[in-house]
Amino acid sequence: MTSANARLILICSGKGGVGKTTLTANLGIALARQGESVAVLDADFGLRNLDLLLGLENRIIYTAQDVLAGTCRLEQALVRHKQQPTLSLLPAGNPRMLEWITPDDMRRIAALLAEQFRFVLIDCPAGIEDGFRNAAAAAEEAIVVTTPEVSAVRDADRVIGLLNSMGVKPVQLVLNRVRPEMMANQEMLSVTDVTDILALPLLGLVQEDKQVIVSTNKGEPLTLGEPSTPAGCAYQNVARRLRGDAVPIVDPSTERRGLRSRLRKLMTTRIF
Amino acid sequence: MAAHLIAGPVSGQPHSLDLGDRTGDTEALTAVADALEGLRHSERRLVGPLRLTCRNRSLTLPELRAIGGRLERQGLRLVEVQASAPDTLVAAAALGLVTSWPEPVVAPRGSDENAPPELTILRRTLRSGDQVSSMGSVLVLGDVNPGAMVSAAGHVLVWGRLRGKAHAGKNGDRRARITALQLRPLQLRIADVVARGPDDDPPPGLAEQAVLVGREIRIEAASPLWPLAN
Repeated sequence: MTSANARLILICSGKGGVGKTTLTANLGIALARQGESVAVLDADFGLRNLDLLLGLENRIIYTAQDVLAGTCRLEQALVRHKQQPTLSLLPAGNPRMLEWITPDDMRRIAALLAEQFRFVLIDCPAGIEDGFRNAAAAAEEAIVVTTPEVSAVRDADRVIGLLNSMGVKPVQLVLNRVRPEMMANQEMLSVTDVTDILALPLLGLVQEDKQVIVSTNKGEPLTLGEPSTPAGCAYQNVARRLRGDAVPIVDPSTERRGLRSRLRKLMTTRIF
Repeated sequence: MAAHLIAGPVSGQPHSLDLGDRTGDTEALTAVADALEGLRHSERRLVGPLRLTCRNRSLTLPELRAIGGRLERQGLRLVEVQASAPDTLVAAAALGLVTSWPEPVVAPRGSDENAPPELTILRRTLRSGDQVSSMGSVLVLGDVNPGAMVSAAGHVLVWGRLRGKAHAGKNGDRRARITALQLRPLQLRIADVVARGPDDDPPPGLAEQAVLVGREIRIEAASPLWPLAN
């Protein structure tokens, strides 16, 4: 059904607002910059906004539903990114035609994309209802995004259980919106608290970063430029790990403590 | 085990009187009288149809008739006899009572004559939203995460961390226990008793079990004995 080396990756979380779409956009750009051909598929047909994050909203002519209905060819519906032409977006269709979409439709779209691209990233809607099931039907592997909050972890756990029962493998974890200082003070779930419960290989840790909001509103993912912000670097590392590079994961809450103690040491030696 | 009387679950349904095992050779009529005596202290007065569970006692027709008469004086009407001894069943049938064999399902109270219930083994982690229920005991080889629920008529055994909810002895077996390598559940239930899980951190490297002591669930170091062995 798919070409031998295409990777169909579902990006999901269960809970809304934890950063699925942001991760999809940044990961797509980062992978494209690293020389891969990437398609991002917005499977959130009801509340699509992957096009906004990529700054491609005004270039959409056809959608996935037009491809399914046969009104256009896949090439016509794909929107190439301005700066990263190896990245293409397949936009979600008209929200009013929601009931058209079935798991088989998603599999057909994914198969079409898999013929042309090395990576197909599927941006999953929140929740575990039909939208999730449709999106998951098309995927072969998954990245679960969660934040260090009890409710997000609980929902992620539920989603992982469903993915396991649907045979999606491997499932990896991205821990998003980490606040190192809160983790260090034990005001937030720690990295091990989360991985203890979810028991998934950690693909990346992304720090809470104001620049994410700025870039979202501008429609320019952080990974577009040379990554200077913590979140931008983290997304880039997620992309590298996804391609198989061994990039070590540093826990910012413990690293920071190390840095602070080193600074303190430095200061005391300077003073005396 | 002394005889005891259980009120019918719904009004109109028969109450149930269990004569208990034949220990110390108490006469059946004395056992019934004792059970009725115990009732005098409860505020609720039981009347209506009653099912007598005789277990392995062998009762003659006059004995059964005497029991029936004793119950009648209390306002209880003997309608059904459940027994495993054939002569008791014959006597009951001769009196025109409904007769039945003990249910093949494991009876509550985990009495010794019942074979240990079968074991369900789950080789996976139960994640949020997963619900597992078994008529026997359950052994989970993995964690039970917050939001998951495992319930069993027998024991709940977790080779891993129990952080969800667990219900052992869901059919009323008060001897059922919940054992886990790390016992930090959100909620525990044994038989009809409910308890919140402990808030403090678990002792490192010590498997724990929850057992029912009186009306409260107590957590202690796990017994090294396999609970399903006789």
